[in-house]
Amino acid sequence: MSHYPIMSFLKLFCAGLLISVSSLMASAQLDEGRLVQSTWMIGVGSSHLADTYLSPLKYSGWSLGLAYDRTQVSRWSERWVTHLKAGVDLDRTLNPVGNAVMWAAQLQVSWGMIRKWEMPAYGINFGVGPAIRLEGGCLYNARNSNNPASAKATATIDLQAFVSKSVRLRGRFVNIRYQPTLPVIGAFFSPKYDELYYELYLGNHSGLVHPAWWGNRFKLDNLVTADIWLGSTALRLGYECSVMTSKVSNLTTRMITHRFVVGITLNWLALRPSENSISPL
Amino acid sequence: MTIAMVMTSCHDIPEYQDDPEGNFEALWTMIDQHYCFLDEKGVDWDDVHKRYAEKINPVMTREELFNVCAEMLNELRDGHTNLSSPWQTSYYRQWWSDYPQNYDARVIEQYYFNFNYRQVTGVKYGILPRGNIGYMGYSSFANPIGEGNLDAILSYLATCDGLIIDIRDNGGGNMDMVDRIAGRFITERITAGYMVHKTGPGRNDFSKPFEYYIYPAEQGRMFWTKPVVVLTNRSTFSAANNFVSVMQYLPQVSIVGATTGGGSGMPFSSELPCGWAVRFSSCSVLDAKGNITEFGIQPSPGCEVDLDLAEALNGRDTMLDFAIDVLTR
Repeated sequence: MSHYPIMSFLKLFCAGLLISVSSLMASAQLDEGRLVQSTWMIGVGSSHLADTYLSPLKYSGWSLGLAYDRTQVSRWSERWVTHLKAGVDLDRTLNPVGNAVMWAAQLQVSWGMIRKWEMPAYGINFGVGPAIRLEGGCLYNARNSNNPASAKATATIDLQAFVSKSVRLRGRFVNIRYQPTLPVIGAFFSPKYDELYYELYLGNHSGLVHPAWWGNRFKLDNLVTADIWLGSTALRLGYECSVMTSKVSNLTTRMITHRFVVGITLNWLALRPSENSISPL
Repeated sequence: MTIAMVMTSCHDIPEYQDDPEGNFEALWTMIDQHYCFLDEKGVDWDDVHKRYAEKINPVMTREELFNVCAEMLNELRDGHTNLSSPWQTSYYRQWWSDYPQNYDARVIEQYYFNFNYRQVTGVKYGILPRGNIGYMGYSSFANPIGEGNLDAILSYLATCDGLIIDIRDNGGGNMDMVDRIAGRFITERITAGYMVHKTGPGRNDFSKPFEYYIYPAEQGRMFWTKPVVVLTNRSTFSAANNFVSVMQYLPQVSIVGATTGGGSGMPFSSELPCGWAVRFSSCSVLDAKGNITEFGIQPSPGCEVDLDLAEALNGRDTMLDFAIDVLTR
């Protein structure tokens, strides 16, 4: 056992990644019988943005998100599920006096695995696992001249978890779940304090990529959902909160969103769902 | 969530009240932490705070606050520094208003070309009536010139023995146009200059100068290797000033006219709690020898000349005539 917890974590993650990739390369017929759950969600809510590269003021407005979430029981163990998430976010915010607009647009995709455990006595499932996430986008302040945009690009290794409980409500199964996702380590892009993108365009690419850790970039995504099952399809209702704060090169960025989400969840291959086969999670 | 709140508070963003004092302090701090020419201009910014903070009071009107803030920004003597409110944009004008104008486009259009000049994307060009000299007047680097436009202009003037690029009253615009036009006068990569930006809020937090280059236009384009005069006045500013800083070191080029207006600081945008926009220089562009050009670029030795207003009334642009003489002597 290594004395370095990060190295141990990386080794565990890589081992899991190798197992999973090799399993995905096996023939498709092995997929037969494995439960897949896909969810399409749309979220609407509020956004609070600040990026000192663009403005020292904090902006507030609306946020819109579209997301796809796919979980699948792994081929080597029913205790492991693979988890794919992809999403696009669009925020429009105003400064405190309402005379300047800041937009934020982001794409993100993550893939990982979750080891799940069950507590049958309480009807509770829970799990935890690693994921790798890529995010890219930008904040755009329309009235700035040479610094109108602040590009964002991040690659992180995340820790994701869930805890869920299925209950019966008026004869229907309702799966209530809380899913936090916490980037642990990675790398992200940032220009220097007053470095213009024009200088980057001219070829000065030094010092643009920074290691990400909780001290300079902290992000926490929280998703609380209730899946109301109607056969093998569920209506998802929930609340999503994302907090991201970073400080590097004396530049601070803060992005906080609160969204109510609505979605459709489908269980593939679940022809006669029972309480135990409602979800890979 | 507790951890998230703790981390958010660690990455603090200073906040100022939207009142006269808060807006004043926000503006002063912004310049203190971001402006790149405080030392070069000998501005004692702490003393500026002392003098102008006395003029701030809680009951002053927005207009009074704007006037104090604008006056404070004028201490920077920078044409790239502005404060914009809904009713006014402040502007330091002395960088050009204290100097002769030295340019009247009508004189050239009427008395040198009899209005028979060609015009494309902001460039007026033609062959001058004396000395077989080509003329290319470019009024703003904000007017983009395409590679095809440059081919057409230089092809039309190809039989001329010299070329005058008149950028008097050219207030700048797109720096890409500097590269594009200068690329027609070089045959190999040249150092265009250096960029230095602030790396932190400290007054001496500057990056190492980053050397950047200009490359010749691609093969097959029209090039100009014969003598060139770049004609300047005090209102040659910003990107136009940068064009002069590049062209001045080319062996076939003479800078003729008056000292340019400078404006070598790339402007950054920000804002105050009351929503007023602020623009200021945060990134200094040095010339190929590492010299600061914020205060302007002088003409080549022996090439300084002003417009004779009496002669202008008679239809003569004495600066243009001087430039023709430089190319024909």
